[in-house]
Amino acid sequence: MGRYIVRRLLQALPLLFAISVASFAILKATPGGPLAAYEGNPDFTEQDRLRLEHAFGLDRPLPIQYISWLGSFVTGDWGYSFAHHLPVTTLIGERLPNTLTLMATVFVVVLLLAIPIGVTTALRQYSVFDHVVTGTTFTFLSTPTFWLGLLLIIVFGLQLRWLPLGGIQTPGAEFDVGDRLRHLILPVATISLVQVGSHVRFLRASMLETIAQDYMRTARAKGLAERIVVMRHALKNAAIPLVTVVALDIPELFVGALVTESIFGWPGMGRLFLDAAFRSDYPVLQGILAVSSTLIVLSNLLADVAYGYLDPRIRYS
Amino acid sequence: MRRLAIALAALGLVIAACGQPAPGTGTSPAPSATVAATASPTRGGTAIVAIWQFPSTLAAHYANQTVTDIVNNGVIEGLAETNNNGDYIPTLAKSVPTLANGGAKLTADGKKLDVTWELKPGIKWSDGTPLTSADIKYTWEIWMKDPKVNNRTGFSEIESIDLPNDLTAVVHYKSIYAPYPLNFGSLMPKALLEKEADISKTDYVRRPLGTGPFKITEFKTDESITLEKNTNYRDTSKPYLDKIIFKSVPSSQIGLAQLKAGEVQAMWNLTEAQTPEVEKESSLALLVVQGPTVERIELNTAENKEYPDPNSVHPVLGDIEMRKALLYATPKQQIIDKLLFGKAKPGSSPVSQGWAAYKEPQEGYDPAKANATLDKAGWVKGSDGIRSKGGVRASLTYATTTGDQLRERVQQVLVEEWKAIGVEVKLQNQPSAVILSGSCTGKDPRKLGTFDMLMYASTPGIDPHGTILPRYHSKQIPTQADCSGQNYTRFKNADVDKAIDEAGGTLDVEKRKAAYAKVMKALNEAYVIIWMYDRANIDARVTGLQGFQGNVWRRFTWNIQDWWLKK
Repeated sequence: MGRYIVRRLLQALPLLFAISVASFAILKATPGGPLAAYEGNPDFTEQDRLRLEHAFGLDRPLPIQYISWLGSFVTGDWGYSFAHHLPVTTLIGERLPNTLTLMATVFVVVLLLAIPIGVTTALRQYSVFDHVVTGTTFTFLSTPTFWLGLLLIIVFGLQLRWLPLGGIQTPGAEFDVGDRLRHLILPVATISLVQVGSHVRFLRASMLETIAQDYMRTARAKGLAERIVVMRHALKNAAIPLVTVVALDIPELFVGALVTESIFGWPGMGRLFLDAAFRSDYPVLQGILAVSSTLIVLSNLLADVAYGYLDPRIRYS
Repeated sequence: MRRLAIALAALGLVIAACGQPAPGTGTSPAPSATVAATASPTRGGTAIVAIWQFPSTLAAHYANQTVTDIVNNGVIEGLAETNNNGDYIPTLAKSVPTLANGGAKLTADGKKLDVTWELKPGIKWSDGTPLTSADIKYTWEIWMKDPKVNNRTGFSEIESIDLPNDLTAVVHYKSIYAPYPLNFGSLMPKALLEKEADISKTDYVRRPLGTGPFKITEFKTDESITLEKNTNYRDTSKPYLDKIIFKSVPSSQIGLAQLKAGEVQAMWNLTEAQTPEVEKESSLALLVVQGPTVERIELNTAENKEYPDPNSVHPVLGDIEMRKALLYATPKQQIIDKLLFGKAKPGSSPVSQGWAAYKEPQEGYDPAKANATLDKAGWVKGSDGIRSKGGVRASLTYATTTGDQLRERVQQVLVEEWKAIGVEVKLQNQPSAVILSGSCTGKDPRKLGTFDMLMYASTPGIDPHGTILPRYHSKQIPTQADCSGQNYTRFKNADVDKAIDEAGGTLDVEKRKAAYAKVMKALNEAYVIIWMYDRANIDARVTGLQGFQGNVWRRFTWNIQDWWLKK
């Protein structure tokens, strides 16, 4: 197992390198560029452009730009944002707690809802409950988050006035847990409703497969209580595919939710990334992309390792 | 040569006196004089202003977002500013130096300009340190030294600055730089910053120190910026409010919803389409200020290809009769009424505000006249209803920025209107980052000359020379060798060139005005630009927030020290 992990990590290095080269190339190929924001001002001259290009290091050949970024990045210097003039690490540090709050809440809410619902729908296949759940999950799965988010704002924020229309806390007020929770409800609901759907579908399908297995009958024949049969024999096996899906959610804890954060004005990583993308703020974009691609690779590895732990039939070679 | 600095007769004209507030062009119950007459301002309270864009930096010398000005209007001040008439009024200076009051002097050879600024005594930065003339010099030095500044307009024209005493600075310009009164619009504190090697890496980028009515006490990125009353403000009776919070909202629609819900007291920048929603709420008020921004469609008179020969002729738009017909078939007023909810005015020239405004309208909507014009010019309708002449089909492309709902709707209307007169129009929209990049390497089609018709907006400054010269002088046609010009229609007229040169070489305001009028008249007689509409700046507030006043040349927070909340 140890050798397997080491090998996978070594394999990941060229992959991550390739990803960073590709994302760098795509960023540079995007029309506009970081100086576009200055162009609207009639006072901005050709000399100003050349000066800023030099100040931002954009006048160097592309390979040099990439190598110098990579060199600094691996030594912990992620560079300075073109737009904010602050270190990329500072900008990420400001927003990461907000995104973690949002996404960890989503993570917990989704699991707390998806597991019992998924198990129950499978155990009561074709019952009224199953049909209702299936219908609802498909509805939310096929709902775009930007639409769902706006709908929730209109209903609960504008019409009913129960919840704030966005933001992370009441401006000017001191931090308060209740206030934070009220601001969390709608964005968490927006992301969770969609994710719960997909997780319930996964769990239902794999539970159905598991409860049809011979060992389930054996377990029951041994006279085990139904609860133990379901929890220990069915769910543990059925949860294996879900573990993969959940492990792949981990990068989201860092990356955040692009659309939802923007709709709700949540000052998190997703919005930082989107704003940086609009302004071609390369250092910020590259920093976030590098971290998120690393997390994706690592969470894939984690999923594979967890798979082996949960299912001893799987052997790594 | 856009900065070809000319002495404004303004030099003489500039009225240093603090002007009376002009009658608001807006619909809001405006000037503070009226307010003062009906109710005296109450003190205290917090106003929350919704902003749908968040400043990435507040340092004036780095900023490139409009929203930065919205916030900084409460914090950072300069030597002089602009009132609603476009006149310069002193802010931190005792008066605005002019030729008439002796503060501005031409050098003996008549080629350079010396400007003497005198500060009001006793002014302090909000941290309590005194403002001195050294801060004026320091501001210039920073702007010239820091490689990351946004632009060096005006500052690059300065040769040296002398400081005869703590309150006086004599600025020596290398040329006759007419817009000098606004050169020092954002002063920077020497005492705080001079020891910093790189200001971009200090807290100043988020909490700049100023002399304004408020100081920044909290900057929560993408969330809110809190301004508290500056106790060192020179006018001890102001500001009326204790606190202003600029709150980030995800979109102007949500901002409007929060305004209606009373969560915020004012919001920045509404679209015309949102105004009916505000007008039907009695608790809300709009501030509509006709701004200098003009939306236009520019018609390319040269060949549609990369860096065309400026003397080449566009096969369709090279014909002035075709350009006339396109104008006659453009229903400006209907578009304004239906798509802009009446909150704009039909355009007539690039300079719609200020002392050089030219308001002679273009011919109105008349499709019959458009058809007759084309018939007469020999453009014959084919079986598909599209005209052609000498084997050239009247087929044009029409570009604007993608994702702009208003512009896309305007395009839909015009494509139909022009089709009705036998001109086929294909849309060719591109992201604003390309189409308005103003950069040749960025493939801006205006610079390259790769467009037929292109719709966008532009905003002239108070002094029109910076708009007229680069856009309409024939030497300003962008070419591969020199791409800096902005004469995108490839308009050439020897008389116009002469008039522009004359305006740049005289101090006489009447002569300059006449010269610019001549340019704009010739431009309209050549039918190279369809002036669609003059856009307004639209902001909103709850009626309980008082003291709002429109200013053509500045954003709505310009008099934030006069705002107060009705109890």
